[in-house]
Amino acid sequence: MSSTAHDGRTGVMSYTFKLGRVMVALFILAIWISASASGMLPGPVEVITYVMSMDPKEVCPQVLRTLYNSVTGFSLSFLISMVLGLLSHKYSFVRGFSEALSEIFNSTSALVWSLVLVATLGVLSPLPPILVVAAVTLPHVLTATISALSSADPSLLEAVRSIGGKPSDEFFEVVLPSSVPLLASASRVGLGTALRISVVAEAFGSSGGVGYMIIRSYNLADASGVLAWSTILVLLVLGLDQLILKPMERRARRWLE
Amino acid sequence: MARVILEAESLYKSFSEPVLLDISLYLEEGEVIGIVGPNGCGKTTLLRILAGLEKPDSGKVARRGRVGMVFQEDRLLPWKTLWENIALGLKYHGIRGQDLTSKLKEYASKVGLEEEDLFLHPRKASGGTRRKAALARALVLEPDILLLDEPFTGLDVNARASLRAAMRQIWNSSNLSTVIVSHQLEELLPLADRVYVLTPKPARIAEEIDMRGMNLEARLERVKEALLRMLTPQPPSESEGNGNSREEGKTK
Repeated sequence: MSSTAHDGRTGVMSYTFKLGRVMVALFILAIWISASASGMLPGPVEVITYVMSMDPKEVCPQVLRTLYNSVTGFSLSFLISMVLGLLSHKYSFVRGFSEALSEIFNSTSALVWSLVLVATLGVLSPLPPILVVAAVTLPHVLTATISALSSADPSLLEAVRSIGGKPSDEFFEVVLPSSVPLLASASRVGLGTALRISVVAEAFGSSGGVGYMIIRSYNLADASGVLAWSTILVLLVLGLDQLILKPMERRARRWLE
Repeated sequence: MARVILEAESLYKSFSEPVLLDISLYLEEGEVIGIVGPNGCGKTTLLRILAGLEKPDSGKVARRGRVGMVFQEDRLLPWKTLWENIALGLKYHGIRGQDLTSKLKEYASKVGLEEEDLFLHPRKASGGTRRKAALARALVLEPDILLLDEPFTGLDVNARASLRAAMRQIWNSSNLSTVIVSHQLEELLPLADRVYVLTPKPARIAEEIDMRGMNLEARLERVKEALLRMLTPQPPSESEGNGNSREEGKTK
């Protein structure tokens, strides 16, 4: 196939791919409009007007609070995964422990974590949203770290050993750098999950954050407020994913090339 | 007589099938020995056992000095520059700062690496430059014994000549003892003092040839003769499989 024909085909594929994405947005909008026509929900125009009328001084602290909860919780799970990953590389006991921990955490719902942590630490504690995010994202990051361990090139590990590297050197010089693409993908999924999970935890026990504002609007029977804050959350997750996490993942994939 | 710095005695190794059978060899201080044999006969396995990276099923290896290994593939960390790759071993041995810089520069220059090449990542460097960096990474730790696995494979004529010249310079300026595994006789034989010829798998030592005093043509002829002899079926002799001790089987 000539390169022009190939380029043309790639261009058409890229165009149809983008069209598919636009169609999803139009599909959601159509459902929303039909739901609002039957009086079930406020319509998109009403919600957008509501968002535009919101005071940025009220919105920004709540968004920042949710971001803080998500990033702190995710960083905690990332840190724990790194420590367990490092120890797993040296001790098979820790590897077994990590895999079992990951399986148990993966089977526990965010709702259960939220209720247990709010009941334990209290409604006003700032910790439950952070810890819920950490607990829910831990299995993703831990599993990615452990998979990365087994995917590290054994010939590079041997090369490091042959010049006097210790197991910790093997981890930091080979295992960790070779797992960057895998960890970046896991971080993209994990941070997206963290944002969505933190609002659940904020709804149950917190005095701020997007989740708290959604549940507060719900309790005040303010349907436009619920959808406005939900829209803000969706835009936040999409913005973070498209502007920061996706380019970061793409860059990380090129790391080993 | 020079001190024996590396000695292997009756090495046996099998994976799913026997690979090495009763291999004994030795390396004297300052000597360069070559190991040749048909493709896939177990040369790399033998070298890995000599390096201590693989354990033999039976037999023993005595190393009387520090061992440096250069693998068949460069095995440079792709996310580090050549400089950082060479510096790794020094850091593991606690050498840092000015000592590290001066030692690294010294060995980079010895293997013929240009200073600007040192700041390239392996993917941006040529095959010859990568091979020299892998050699420098082993040499910078100042081993007593250097093990080289197919050092010339994948290099063009110029790169091979440049690497060979760098090796010669290193041997001239040090008492480094070296084992080279290679199937490229034209590259290996000018460098080797002695050559062990291995049989097809499972490998035994078919012949040990002392190359000293021979010109390149004679060396090539002698080794090719030995390799050809292996491919021609021979009636079993009393000394077969046992001609690899320090005195037996040695031919000039």
